Amino acid sequence: MNTAVTREMGHFFQFLIQEMKPRGPWLTPFNVISVPVILTGLVVLYFRFVYGLGAVTNLSQDFPWGFWLGFDVVTGIALAGGAYVITFVVYVMKVDKYQSIVRVTVLNALLAYIFYAGALLFDLGRPWHAFNPYIGNSFGFSSVMFLICWHFMLYMVAAFVEFSPVIAEWAHWEKARKILKGLTLGTVIFGITLSILHQSGLGALFLMAKPKIHPLWWSEFIPILFFVSSIYAGLAMIIFEGTISHRVFKNLIDPDSHHAFEDIIFGLAKGAAITMFVYYFMKALLFIHGKQWGFLNDGWGYWYLLEVLGFVLVPGFMFAFGFRNRSLNIVKLASVLALLGIVLNRLNVSFISFRWYAEVHYYPSWQEIVVTLMIIFTEIWIFRWIVTRMPVFKPAH
Amino acid sequence: MNSFVYVNIFETKGLEYLLLLCFWVLFIYLVRYLSAPVKKRKDLP
Repeated sequence: MNTAVTREMGHFFQFLIQEMKPRGPWLTPFNVISVPVILTGLVVLYFRFVYGLGAVTNLSQDFPWGFWLGFDVVTGIALAGGAYVITFVVYVMKVDKYQSIVRVTVLNALLAYIFYAGALLFDLGRPWHAFNPYIGNSFGFSSVMFLICWHFMLYMVAAFVEFSPVIAEWAHWEKARKILKGLTLGTVIFGITLSILHQSGLGALFLMAKPKIHPLWWSEFIPILFFVSSIYAGLAMIIFEGTISHRVFKNLIDPDSHHAFEDIIFGLAKGAAITMFVYYFMKALLFIHGKQWGFLNDGWGYWYLLEVLGFVLVPGFMFAFGFRNRSLNIVKLASVLALLGIVLNRLNVSFISFRWYAEVHYYPSWQEIVVTLMIIFTEIWIFRWIVTRMPVFKPAH
Repeated sequence: MNSFVYVNIFETKGLEYLLLLCFWVLFIYLVRYLSAPVKKRKDLP
């Protein structure tokens, strides 16, 4: 028995070593750009952990949350919202049309949570305290951060379980694959529940900052706005990421899936159009209820209008028009605009409109931007490694 | 320190009802627009 297990383990490690070897050419434009950025980011992180946040960031007591939290965590998690939407549609609503994108979407979400939520450790003054809510040293039940800490951790586990049949299939563990596949529906429902709560929870983080956030961006309904916008952010991200993946990894995808993907894109565009329409009216309702027309007469007002009209209403119409006229280019452009709108909205709430009245305002240092790029590039490297080895572009069956 | 501020929630109610009415009318139009048979692309046979 022991000998058989040892032999099996030996085979697996040999297989793993074989899979670790790089595939494809090294000197590609992406590698040439990403490797120096990742190395520079590592140097910056060395300075951050040795000399503290002040050495590499423009954060201060007045602006304690900056680009790392605003972009990596608050925006990154919203963009990962596609996984809970698609798993809901496929596993709960039983719409089989989207089966072929479930695996890649879940993988994206898993990596996004690992990297973007993991990036929170760079932003915390004392990162070792991040484990306190888990180990019970200081649970902090009354804090929204307690909810977010636990949800991030549990969702990572849920996303890993949802993705694990792919790993089992790759490693030829047939029995394990069947067992893990049996866990999918329960995990999906658990994951959707978690996602809805922490997408809105990220908005709830800003509820206490009412006097500090510009009234055009602060609302007591900000958790609902964050949740609704995460739906179309996720859909737009799937369209954007899927379009790039189908171009870059076209040799890994069979031709039938290429044709089916166009139909999937249009289906996602339809969903995004409806969600953006609802979101736009929610914003309008809050605007009227808050009697905020007086705020529109200055730069902040124009900035707000650009976000709401230019990056919500316009891409919403473009999604609807692109779907109706079967125009892939319009849908793709709409997805880019919708993503920019989400980035803009999250950054506006996190730090752009934060203490808008302050004379000295926060702007990210080059080191903060490099570390963020490092995180994105590292995630793409891992994503590329996984999709070129595991059956990610196959439909979940 | 701010003292109690009275918020008259009825002040904007008329406009809010109007907006909601617009929302439902436009929403029905949007769903009908998106549910109608899609136009075929000219470049496809």
